[in-house]
Amino acid sequence: MSNPDELLRIEGIRKSFPGVVALDGVDFDLRRGEVHVLLGENGAGKSTLIKMLSGAYTPDEGRILAGGEEVRIHGAQDSERLGIATIYQEFNLVPDLTVAENIFLGRQPRRFGMIDRKRMEADAEVLLKRVGVAVPPDAHVRELGIARLQMVEIAKALSLDARVLIMDEPTAVLTSEEVEKLFAIVRQLREDGVGIVFITHHLEEIAALGDRVTVIRDGKSVGQVPAATPEAELVRLMVGRSIEQQYPRERGEKGAALLSVEGLTRDGVFHDVSFEVHAGEVVGIAGLVGAGRTEVVRAVFGADRYDKGAVKVSGTALRGHDVNAAMTAGIGLVPEDRKGQGLVLDASVEENLGLVTLRKATRAGIVDLKAQHAAAERIALQLGVRMAGLGQQVRTLSGGNQQKVVIGKWLLADTKVLILDEPTRGIDVGAKVEIYQLINELTAAGAAVLMISSDLPEVLGMSDRVLVMAQGRIAGELSAAEATQDSVMALAVSNPTTTDKEAARGH
Amino acid sequence: MATDTLKGKASGAGGAAAVRRLFLDNGALSALIVLVIAMSALSGDFLSTDNLLNVGVQAAVTAILAFGATFVIVSAGIDLSVGSVAALSATVLAWSATQHGVPVFVAVVLAVLTGIAAGLVNGFLIAYGKLPSFIATLAMLSVARGLSLVISGGSPIAFPDSVSHLGDTLGGWLPVPVLVMIVMGLVAAFVLGRTYIGRSMYAIGGNEEAARLSGLRVSRQKLAIYALTGLFAAVAGIVLAARLASAQPQAANGYELDAIAAVVIGGASLAGGTGKASGTLIGALILAVLRNGLNLLNVSAFWQQVVIGVVIALAVLLDTVRRKAGATPAAPRIGGSKGKQAGTYVLAAVITVALAAATSLLHTGSASATPRVGLSLSTLNNPFFVQIRSGAESEAKKLGVDLTVTDAQNDASQQANQLQNFTSSGLGAIIVNPVDSDAASNSVKAADKADIPVIAVDRGVNNAKTDTLVASDNVKGGELAAKTIAEKLGGHGKIVILQGQAGTSAARERAQGFAQGLKAYPGIQVVAQQPADFDRTKGLDVMSNLLQAHPDVQGVIAANDEMALGAIKALGSKAGTSVSVVGFDGTPDGLTAVKNGTLYASVAQQPSELGKIAVDNALKAIKDEKIDPTIKVPVKVITKENVDGFTG
Repeated sequence: MSNPDELLRIEGIRKSFPGVVALDGVDFDLRRGEVHVLLGENGAGKSTLIKMLSGAYTPDEGRILAGGEEVRIHGAQDSERLGIATIYQEFNLVPDLTVAENIFLGRQPRRFGMIDRKRMEADAEVLLKRVGVAVPPDAHVRELGIARLQMVEIAKALSLDARVLIMDEPTAVLTSEEVEKLFAIVRQLREDGVGIVFITHHLEEIAALGDRVTVIRDGKSVGQVPAATPEAELVRLMVGRSIEQQYPRERGEKGAALLSVEGLTRDGVFHDVSFEVHAGEVVGIAGLVGAGRTEVVRAVFGADRYDKGAVKVSGTALRGHDVNAAMTAGIGLVPEDRKGQGLVLDASVEENLGLVTLRKATRAGIVDLKAQHAAAERIALQLGVRMAGLGQQVRTLSGGNQQKVVIGKWLLADTKVLILDEPTRGIDVGAKVEIYQLINELTAAGAAVLMISSDLPEVLGMSDRVLVMAQGRIAGELSAAEATQDSVMALAVSNPTTTDKEAARGH
Repeated sequence: MATDTLKGKASGAGGAAAVRRLFLDNGALSALIVLVIAMSALSGDFLSTDNLLNVGVQAAVTAILAFGATFVIVSAGIDLSVGSVAALSATVLAWSATQHGVPVFVAVVLAVLTGIAAGLVNGFLIAYGKLPSFIATLAMLSVARGLSLVISGGSPIAFPDSVSHLGDTLGGWLPVPVLVMIVMGLVAAFVLGRTYIGRSMYAIGGNEEAARLSGLRVSRQKLAIYALTGLFAAVAGIVLAARLASAQPQAANGYELDAIAAVVIGGASLAGGTGKASGTLIGALILAVLRNGLNLLNVSAFWQQVVIGVVIALAVLLDTVRRKAGATPAAPRIGGSKGKQAGTYVLAAVITVALAAATSLLHTGSASATPRVGLSLSTLNNPFFVQIRSGAESEAKKLGVDLTVTDAQNDASQQANQLQNFTSSGLGAIIVNPVDSDAASNSVKAADKADIPVIAVDRGVNNAKTDTLVASDNVKGGELAAKTIAEKLGGHGKIVILQGQAGTSAARERAQGFAQGLKAYPGIQVVAQQPADFDRTKGLDVMSNLLQAHPDVQGVIAANDEMALGAIKALGSKAGTSVSVVGFDGTPDGLTAVKNGTLYASVAQQPSELGKIAVDNALKAIKDEKIDPTIKVPVKVITKENVDGFTG
């Protein structure tokens, strides 16, 4: 009756939430041994779709078929029974349990009513070997880095004997080396006959890994194309128009040095970090995850302490570990963890935008709410934040719009030096370009931008100069002309502790 | 014409939608409305101006504490110390004004400063000491309670008259506590909505790290937030004490939980970032309406606690359900929606009044000829008072009296509420077993004003006219207990004394009796005197501890049988052999122990007799018959010899 290779078929799925239609007639199917990429901008409905498969939501209309039979998925148990495993962007791991316990959580092998720890760890070891990661099964999950966490999640999915594996942006937080490793595992799983639903914003990954692509836009499936489709065509399908230029950097006049960092050191974390950022300039910081990039910028902003060195703005030294001193001098930080550190998720757009300027808007302890409202309205319009109104909770905004709010609060404070830590992580192509435009506007107005990014094309496309960090040191500096994927990667994997001076000179 | 009709229709539909929206948007408000309507339907006494003002007065202390608690809860903290800090502030006020002659105005300022200081200590421990707020304020809960006992020496301090006026009414009808509640509510709403510190609370509670990285000085703000909460607690303490005309070291015990419940019922999340002053007020009103209504409905004191717990759960559940139903997120709104919000409350009020008035029509002409009497007991957590109740109940049944019994749970302010409820529901007579003799005086005065006869039972009421006091003589009983143990030991030996709950008159009087009785026996050495709060478990613990220090003790006097029974448990096989224990009250458990020989003697009161005689006299008072100003019910020393002939 149907294709025996077909694992999953979704027909005409519709799901609405109060006030929004999240999905409106989506068709999708998955075969054995294929990687089917789900592509779409943030808020297009990808997450809603996979939540239907994992049992978090039930559809209002439409059918889900598994192995040719119509099924209803009402919870995690149902989806587990059908052999569907999901790896979310935010991992579902318990930090204080061991790797083995996490893999078998709720299904620990038992002997006489007690957990059979030996067997559990032995089983876990087999699974971990299969995903090719060297983690002791009795290690605590808290101690693992993000890439290894993901491998543990995959091992957990394998332990469930999953026939369908859903991966929601698995590469967003990985370095390119780790991505390669992940791809190898995914290819192996494909060989084994597992069907994989793969969500990504990195278009180059589609050709590298995918077999077919389903594009979702505004809750509708707008097309199914082979993975070899050119990127420009994919973008056009995804955003409904073609994007002229992915990295629209407009380089302007370089002004005086606004931010100078001299010999900044925190023992054991980063060492002797010195650089300058000039007015009108975008300086990118590249490097592998764990190279100490975030730690340095947090210390520059005063969020964390440093042991030695100095941070100067327009020549005036700042007090260390003092966020307010940095802010007063005109530094702003858009942190890496947008939800955890950048936003008050349950507060409104207006409140989040007014957070930095709250003190300035206060007279005798009383906040001038009218002025705050007017300012929020102005900046939201300027940034083109797509929202129902200023009263909307930022939690319910899409990632790109959330990021605009975080940047917006610093724009309101007349920030001269804006530090962006992974500004476009988890943000779709359309919104990325808008954020790049914003960076252009800032530098054109004489501000300085310091940008950390693990997305190499972004660093190369948007920076006027690139600093590469490795093992807590600046491994080298490259001008926009010198910077290529290869030259940056060569520095990122170098060992700057010994060849310090050589590397700093670049080529 | 046609357009007019159309318009009318549209606005009609809009009205219905608005009502639906109102219920969906305000879970707590709907719960309050449902409760008010239900109470009006069930009790004809509920919907009177007097009673509604009562509800206001009764909500006042909880509401003011809860406004303060809203600040910390919005900023993702918790403050468990508000009840204790309230008691401490009130004690400081009474102590400085009465015993040190400080002018009242200065004393009030001192009290408020005390609250702020306690809050600052909390804030410092949390913001700079990095203690979890739960732990820091738990410590303060104990410290503040202890300090108020230290300052007051354990007994209530009568309030200076000028401060007691705070518990009065303005213009003869508006109670000052209600006024203070409204003012503090407005202050809280203003702080939360308009000030820098208020907006910081939402930011810190929503995401502390994001707030810090946005330049908010989080530690400094926290210090101020807890200080503000301490200030509100101090005001609540002053209002509470003013109402009772006395500062009670044990006042507001457990009120922190009521305050937290009010905040959460009002829609705040313990995770922080949400919460409003109006919600908190509604939460406090729900609790007050519930307690008031259950009193009026004569629901058994035990069931009341069950019902209150269920309603708290339901109110929050309703709120959760509504959020799931996808009403607009409860993000604190600012600016333009003010008018709409005011409209919401007006609409709610109109609906409530209309429905409540309609339902209360059901009650017209339901007045009956049976005499109605209210009995407010200090506690039902002790067999002695349970016996008073059963004596009273069986007598009431016999005489055809409609008897309502309430349990004040050893809380003077709860008792004041219950007496107020009795007064406003127009009972024929009130029998009161005061938690504290000073604290009951204002409520009894109010009953006198309403021409309702009041009979005190077991303990007297100070500074107010009661028709009679039905009591056994505690001092005399204490002397008898001392004499009994001294004679048993042959005039020589070491004994310990277990005292009752500090601050109660029974504990004081019995202790006085023990001391007087022992004067005649210089050979008896009291090696330790410790309070065990009239409680069996505490009696066990305290006695176990004392035995470590004084293993050679030969006798124990306990200020009630419960503690004596605890001490016997601690003594084990020594009880009744090498150590003699004397108890007080003659409760059934105590008498059984006397029979078994573990308890040497119990100074028996006759609690069911107390209850019976109180009801008799209440009926006489209703019929305007003459009664004696004091009626003494004899006490008796019960030992193995005479235990069989004795019935409580």
